[in-house]
Amino acid sequence: MAVGLRQFTQRTGDGAGEPILDTENGEELIRVQPSVSIVVGTRAPESPGTLYITSKQVVWLSDVDRAKGYAVDFLSLSLHAVSRDPEAYPSPCIYTQIETEDDDEDVDEGSDNESVEALDLSKVTEMRLVPSDASQYHRLHWCVVVDNLFEIFCECAELNPEPIEEEEEGHNWVFSADQLENEGTGEDPGWHFFQDPTNPIGHSNGDNDLANNVLRLQINDQRFEDAEEMEQENESDHHFKNAPNGEVA
Amino acid sequence: MLFFSYFKDLVGREVTVELKNDLAIRGTLHSVDQYLNIKLENTRVVDQDKYPHMLSVRNCFIRGSVVRYVQLPPDGVDVDLLHDATRREARGG
Repeated sequence: MAVGLRQFTQRTGDGAGEPILDTENGEELIRVQPSVSIVVGTRAPESPGTLYITSKQVVWLSDVDRAKGYAVDFLSLSLHAVSRDPEAYPSPCIYTQIETEDDDEDVDEGSDNESVEALDLSKVTEMRLVPSDASQYHRLHWCVVVDNLFEIFCECAELNPEPIEEEEEGHNWVFSADQLENEGTGEDPGWHFFQDPTNPIGHSNGDNDLANNVLRLQINDQRFEDAEEMEQENESDHHFKNAPNGEVA
Repeated sequence: MLFFSYFKDLVGREVTVELKNDLAIRGTLHSVDQYLNIKLENTRVVDQDKYPHMLSVRNCFIRGSVVRYVQLPPDGVDVDLLHDATRREARGG
């Protein structure tokens, strides 16, 4: 899935036309707003154009240049807001922040002529959509239009939740306390000895010392009896009987 | 759904939403949905010098997936209630 802003050139029909949508996958046109200029990042406003809000993305198409258009998926819109303070921007507008590919430079370097432009677009983090036209509507009119667009943006954003990740994956490594307890019961009860805080691993502590215990086990082990003696006994029965008994349990 | 229910109780309260891009927006919690998308009203940007273009924004919709933290009003945090709720959630209840 493409992240961030991208060029959009697929149009139907003649003249300005309309965007070709992915209707096979259920994309629907929700709203068409004529006479909208677009401000991409810090570039100058581009107009005239028409805004198409679909169930999946926001598309802006130039009314005069069929090759000019932008689109951004709702999945990439981190934030959208109503901006109506004339000091920050002269006209009421929809302000959006766009999530971009993380700063690592793994953007595909396409071989087409548009790659430079596309590369720039994919890094754009802000976009303003400014509805207005030559007619002298009162400023209040545009405030209402912008509020209305804002609500449509909200509804469409909610239509596009994050794709659900494979939840099952987590169960392999998430252990509940119960699971851990059950596993513990299968162990030699003596294992608690290692948890004795007065006897941390690696510290010698008399009879409780692990290395000392092992050492004594080995000394008493019949396998360590004089090999020649064993051979002289010549009693294979005895020899084999002892061997398993001598295993460290 | 724990946090969804919890945030719904905070509607009308003043919260600060910190985004993963470090932008922090303070405002009145207008609504929250099951994806933890957050709508704020009467917003103001905490670091106005860094984000002057956000000055004009008075209400906004923030996508749940880009939220890093939500700072809550201290008296909006009922620790006992949250303890119980998180335990219940952990048991899958």
